[in-house]
Amino acid sequence: MAMVEVKSDITGMVWKILVKEGTKVAEDDVLMILESMKMEIPVVAPQDAVVKEIRVREGDHAAEGEVVALLQI
Amino acid sequence: MAFDEVLKELEARRAKALEMGGEEKLAKRRAQGVMNARERLDYLLDAGSFVESGLLATSHRPEARDKSPADGKVAGYGAIQGRPVAVVSNDFTVLGASSSVVNGKKIKHVKQVANESGMPLILLGESAGARMPDRMGASGRAILGQDPTEYLRDRRTPWVSALLGSCYGSSTWYACLSDFVVMRKGATMAVASSRVTALAIRQPVDAEELGGWNLHTATTGLVDVAVDTDQQALDVVKHFLSYLPSHNGELPPTASVPEGSDEPIKNILEIVPESRSKVYDVRGVINCVLDKDSIFELKPRFGKSLVTSLGRLDGNTVGVIASNPKFKGGSIDVDACAKATSFLVLCDSFNIPIIFLVDQPGFLIGLEGEKRGAPGRIMNWMNALSLVTVPRVSITMRKNYGQAYLNMGGGRNSEEAAAWPSADFGFMDPATGVNVLYGIKAEDDPERFKRLMSEIAQESAPWPLAGLFETQAIIDPRDTRSYLKQILKIRLRRPTNGIGAHRLSCWPTSY
Repeated sequence: MAMVEVKSDITGMVWKILVKEGTKVAEDDVLMILESMKMEIPVVAPQDAVVKEIRVREGDHAAEGEVVALLQI
Repeated sequence: MAFDEVLKELEARRAKALEMGGEEKLAKRRAQGVMNARERLDYLLDAGSFVESGLLATSHRPEARDKSPADGKVAGYGAIQGRPVAVVSNDFTVLGASSSVVNGKKIKHVKQVANESGMPLILLGESAGARMPDRMGASGRAILGQDPTEYLRDRRTPWVSALLGSCYGSSTWYACLSDFVVMRKGATMAVASSRVTALAIRQPVDAEELGGWNLHTATTGLVDVAVDTDQQALDVVKHFLSYLPSHNGELPPTASVPEGSDEPIKNILEIVPESRSKVYDVRGVINCVLDKDSIFELKPRFGKSLVTSLGRLDGNTVGVIASNPKFKGGSIDVDACAKATSFLVLCDSFNIPIIFLVDQPGFLIGLEGEKRGAPGRIMNWMNALSLVTVPRVSITMRKNYGQAYLNMGGGRNSEEAAAWPSADFGFMDPATGVNVLYGIKAEDDPERFKRLMSEIAQESAPWPLAGLFETQAIIDPRDTRSYLKQILKIRLRRPTNGIGAHRLSCWPTSY
């Protein structure tokens, strides 16, 4: 069982978190939505996995490259 | 019968060569569900079309002659859907298909024939790298480098690689030089194996991490597509080739237009959100624009804020470079730049017209990109775009900001530019623009901020661009497919029968 860090692609505000610890996700499923450049930008699962940890809360500022979630593959 | 003995000798030698590395090794592969070198060619090529070149080649070293049937690489010619191709299939059961003097000559020969006779070259990779002890010491260097064009890529016919096992040495080098690479999951490609690497760096090394499908499809971009089986890989090779001509002196083959291809575009207004804050997956748009089921995406897991896809329009192959707002809001990062540039080179080299579908807020700004040399990648793209001699059509759907406006076919960087009425042109996002131009943020003076933002927004509607003839048409989104069909028909370069000048044929294969 390996851990995969999901990093934010862009700098933005965490607007909506759509999963919680234990949620099973498929590649490209939306984990959370960030707001940046006046757009709602989804953060997606890079591979089929199970959500292990959400590292941010709604309203937080996420920097580009910051780990926002941990997934177990 | 006359010649009886020598004919029997021939038959015996041929039979021995066809045994490859022997039944034990072949049985092991069968048990693992992995095809052998000759089975792969049987599956890939039209029945009965394979003409082998060099069945009786062996190692140049006398002591290894009997252990090296076909010297570990099966080469020759065949047909795929009736079209001639040249092939090299690595035989891992023979000395790991390691590279040697004689099989190097085979590859060189087949490459030359492919070039001169105008056939795609297909390399089925699975090789252990350099052959030992041949390559040891100074005399091991001395047998190398006899062909100064060995690693030159001058794109005259398509080169396709399939990575079907451990790939070191020639399988890897040729994959990097190829126009399209498919990899079977579980296969690996790297400069050195995980075992050798672990010895060199004195740390355990995981083979998948070093050179597996996930690394190469998502991080390096050296592999276009990953599949689960040998058969699927070979099917993908055939599928890719169906979009391309056999050589750069002809147009790609045409196909019939599936029934119902004109229907999906009628629903396009439901696929692209009118609200500028909403994102969507542009593949939905591409599927509406192209002939039904013709979309064939390259590097879908790499540089995802752009989609690079082959497809057909009215039966003719086209290449589509489309912003995908679903990823990073469509802002273009360093990987997407490299992907777009490679795709321009592929299309231009093989006489495939290019369609840009634009909805991007500019190049992605940030530290990561700068560390990776973003400006250099942006300029590579512009440089390549300037050398394209196939028709380019650019359609702006929603946003089109910044320098990337040019990279996506803006101004004289495309032959025709059209826009949807929802198009929004400018230097940067209006909210940031107010800050940059007037030095105020929304929370400082909300009334003034809103007024200034709407002023900027008015200037960014497409009408002034059309007024200045910088976009030749503003079209109803539902007319996009018919517009593109008409324009590409008109813009076919009839004086050369659609054949481009191929100024990108020697462009680097990666950067």
